[in-house]
Amino acid sequence: MRTYQGEFTIEKPRSQVWAFVTNPHQMGPCIPDLIELNVESENRFRTLVKVGIGPIRGKFDLTSELTVEEPGRSASLSIRGGGMGSGVDMKAAMELSDTDGGTLLKWRCDTVISGPIASLGGRLIDGEARKITEKVFANLKTALLSAPDEEALAAEGDASAADEAAAAEAEEGTTAVKDV
Amino acid sequence: MALRQTELRPLGKPVGRKEDPRLIRGKGRYVDDIMLPNMLHLCVVRSPYAHARIRRIDASAALAAPGVKLVLTGEDLAKMNLAWMPTLAGDRQMVLATEKVLFQYQEVAAVVAETRAQAEDAAQLIEVDYEPLPVVVDPFYALSPEAPILRDDKEKKSNLIFHWEAGDREETEAIFREAPVVVKQDVRFPRVHPSPLEPCGCVADYDTARSKLTFYVTSQAPHAHRTVLALVSGLPEHQIHVISPDVGGGFGNKVPVYPGYVCAIVASLKLGVPVKWIETRTENIASTHFARDYHMTAEIAAREDGKVLALRVKTVADHGAFDGAADPSKFPAGLFSIVTGSYDFKAAFVEVDGVHTNKPPGGVAYRCSFRVTEAAYLIERVMDVLARRLGMDPAELRMRNFIRKEQFPYRSPTGWVYDSGDYEKTLTLALERIGYEELRREQAERRARGEFMGIGISTFTEIVGAGPSHTFDILGLKMFDSAQIRVHPTGKVIARLGVRHQGQGHETTFAQIIAEELGLTVDDVLIEEGDTDTAPYGLGTYASRSTPTAGGAAALCARRIRQKARKIAAHLLEVGEDDVVWDGTAFSVQGLPGRSVTMKDVAFAAYTNVPEGLEPGLEASYYYDPPNLTFPNGAYIAVVDIDKGTGAVKVRRFLAVDDCGTVINPMIVEGQVHGGLTEGFAIAFMQDIPYDADGNCLAPNWMDYLVPTALDTPHWETDRTVTPSPHHPIGAKGVGESPNVGSPAAFVNAVVDALSPLGVEHIDMPIYPWKVWSILRAHGVTE
Repeated sequence: MRTYQGEFTIEKPRSQVWAFVTNPHQMGPCIPDLIELNVESENRFRTLVKVGIGPIRGKFDLTSELTVEEPGRSASLSIRGGGMGSGVDMKAAMELSDTDGGTLLKWRCDTVISGPIASLGGRLIDGEARKITEKVFANLKTALLSAPDEEALAAEGDASAADEAAAAEAEEGTTAVKDV
Repeated sequence: MALRQTELRPLGKPVGRKEDPRLIRGKGRYVDDIMLPNMLHLCVVRSPYAHARIRRIDASAALAAPGVKLVLTGEDLAKMNLAWMPTLAGDRQMVLATEKVLFQYQEVAAVVAETRAQAEDAAQLIEVDYEPLPVVVDPFYALSPEAPILRDDKEKKSNLIFHWEAGDREETEAIFREAPVVVKQDVRFPRVHPSPLEPCGCVADYDTARSKLTFYVTSQAPHAHRTVLALVSGLPEHQIHVISPDVGGGFGNKVPVYPGYVCAIVASLKLGVPVKWIETRTENIASTHFARDYHMTAEIAAREDGKVLALRVKTVADHGAFDGAADPSKFPAGLFSIVTGSYDFKAAFVEVDGVHTNKPPGGVAYRCSFRVTEAAYLIERVMDVLARRLGMDPAELRMRNFIRKEQFPYRSPTGWVYDSGDYEKTLTLALERIGYEELRREQAERRARGEFMGIGISTFTEIVGAGPSHTFDILGLKMFDSAQIRVHPTGKVIARLGVRHQGQGHETTFAQIIAEELGLTVDDVLIEEGDTDTAPYGLGTYASRSTPTAGGAAALCARRIRQKARKIAAHLLEVGEDDVVWDGTAFSVQGLPGRSVTMKDVAFAAYTNVPEGLEPGLEASYYYDPPNLTFPNGAYIAVVDIDKGTGAVKVRRFLAVDDCGTVINPMIVEGQVHGGLTEGFAIAFMQDIPYDADGNCLAPNWMDYLVPTALDTPHWETDRTVTPSPHHPIGAKGVGESPNVGSPAAFVNAVVDALSPLGVEHIDMPIYPWKVWSILRAHGVTE
């Protein structure tokens, strides 16, 4: 199992951040290289994403399920699925707290990867995983910051505008640490 | 073609290899070169998990994909009673997983399509719903009561496969209680893979009209494979034709029957067309049989003057999910009980626990007679530990403890009878040739300057020639071997053997033996192997058994021919049979040197002019059941220098002095030694198949599992002594494995010797530069 974690601050009120991260329609598009998003219910969505690690390239079919632990404060996301003969099992936890001028988002992700991705791409996984998580949160930040304050909940959450440059800019403050 | 040999008496000469013009020019014919009309291609779907329940397999999308003709799952095979098959160790193994998978890359389904690409694309579309289960990768944890039981199909609910003992426990314990000196060392021999250049593969061609299966396969033992296939498939044995064409290296990896073979056969039976399955490199490393993986603890009880008294060994052997180890059934841990090596121990006690884990099954005799490599490595490592404890030179300690040449035949404390040897002579030659005294002086000087130079010695005894039917079998098949020789009227010979070479040079070696025995030239003899419809039954090539068993069969078969030839010669010479003498090149009349006939004359007469009452023709076959194994030995010395900045080990010199008894072709022997040393070097410094806690294989390719190139490989020096085997028809002992068995200990001993000023007593293989660098840094040698 590999564990990645980090934290960052967003200059938006906690309620708005919470509404965003618990809405699959808004969170889903923050996933980089997203091909398809199917929201099955308000806490369950399926995504088809493009993956390339080392010599392995193809599509992952992932099912994500959101569990709210303490409304407005903490939630967890379980992501399972795979593709190209590989499997992925992730448990991500988020915790929001108020901080000066915005919201502090702490996250931790326990990941179990199996199959050729783990064995062939083994040496490249950590770097790749860091890049992907950084992109997710960069996209999230961009989407949140560009959303109008009042209509946050109604926003379409189209983060496709979050291009690489914006992602790179928003990167600072995100750290990924491998524990195991 | 300067080395082309046409003279008579070819034995012992460096005859150029008859197979090389074909192999070097790219004209070899391997399994993947076989193209048959209407041939389909098979691809295996493998588990990403090391341990998981299979809830559901949905093949509908794959079946609808372009070009797909068939998808096989475990359930399909179960209907044909083929979901499970026997392993070499008498366990059973899933062909395609049903209910649960037990290791990563385990076979789960098979897709057959018109092209390989279509089959691979369709394999991606098979949906398997897995429920991951707790994974067991550590064999010690597997033995603990809290570990999950992996094999619920077995009656015995435990991960322990077997507990095996050899030697005398009580006597050994008694000596240890009294002994003035006792040393103890934990030693690990990592999981390595034979990695032949050509991976495994097959073409199964079932002819529905003739009810005959022709099976082209990368096999080291085609006859044994035919018998196993007959037992598994229910097809009668005479309707299975196994052909093992040119094989690009075996090293033990091509002895077992793999699930892909069974799937290809089932697919061909179902579809009535040929089906080809060729492994990828990753499939070869991550799913076919590995080698070694022994966790060993050895203790030596000795006197203060260095005389060893008793040896105690405890071992845990990781066999993976199914016990697929290639060991004769009487020896669950193979010939590991030869662990007393070249030394005269009064007593020894060896125990081995075989354990299931969530790793691929196996334990093949990778250039090693069934676990001798582990044994030789262990004893040679621990002898050095003892030398260091006593402050004694490791060469001197060995000299004091060798089995003396007058002690042969020598019965070891674990029950083996060594045939012959002169260990002092071999080590003395090695020490002289390398300039041992001078090297030790140089080492002292360098040490004084703060440099790290090491000298490592390994003096090993091998045990090869698996054959004696009273103790050896594979799945019950006795391990004799066979030869069949037919002399044509013009004196040209075709000889067929039950073994199957994978590059060892049999076509030349056996031709030399037969030509020598018949007074012909090597060019007169054609050797054919690997076709079960023509060759006599044999158990195949592995464990350095070809020369000791099939070589013996070839010599004795040729002598059978000579017996008949003598009768014909007497007829031609118009004398009584007793008056005919054979001088190695021709028959002549005793006391009448002028009159002689050659084998060619006799051969012609055999078809044109036989004496009355004698059957025409000149052919014979011989099934040779050797009376004992053969025991080659060697003395290897490695000289290394360690780079203080990087921890890199440079092998400055390596000398291998081998004694493999009578040498048939010195050039081939030297080639075998070079190859084996290169593999031993790789094991010592580069190779390991690690698994993470989830059971992911972390080195399933040649990027992570390193195979040395010419640039990595040191320069090898070789020499030899000759102590013929007293019981082998020509005195040959076999050499193919010796360098792989003997060299890892020499390398590791050299590195430990280099680092001994820091108090280092042992380093586990592979000795990566970072390991050495970490030691140097921990001692403040480098920053």
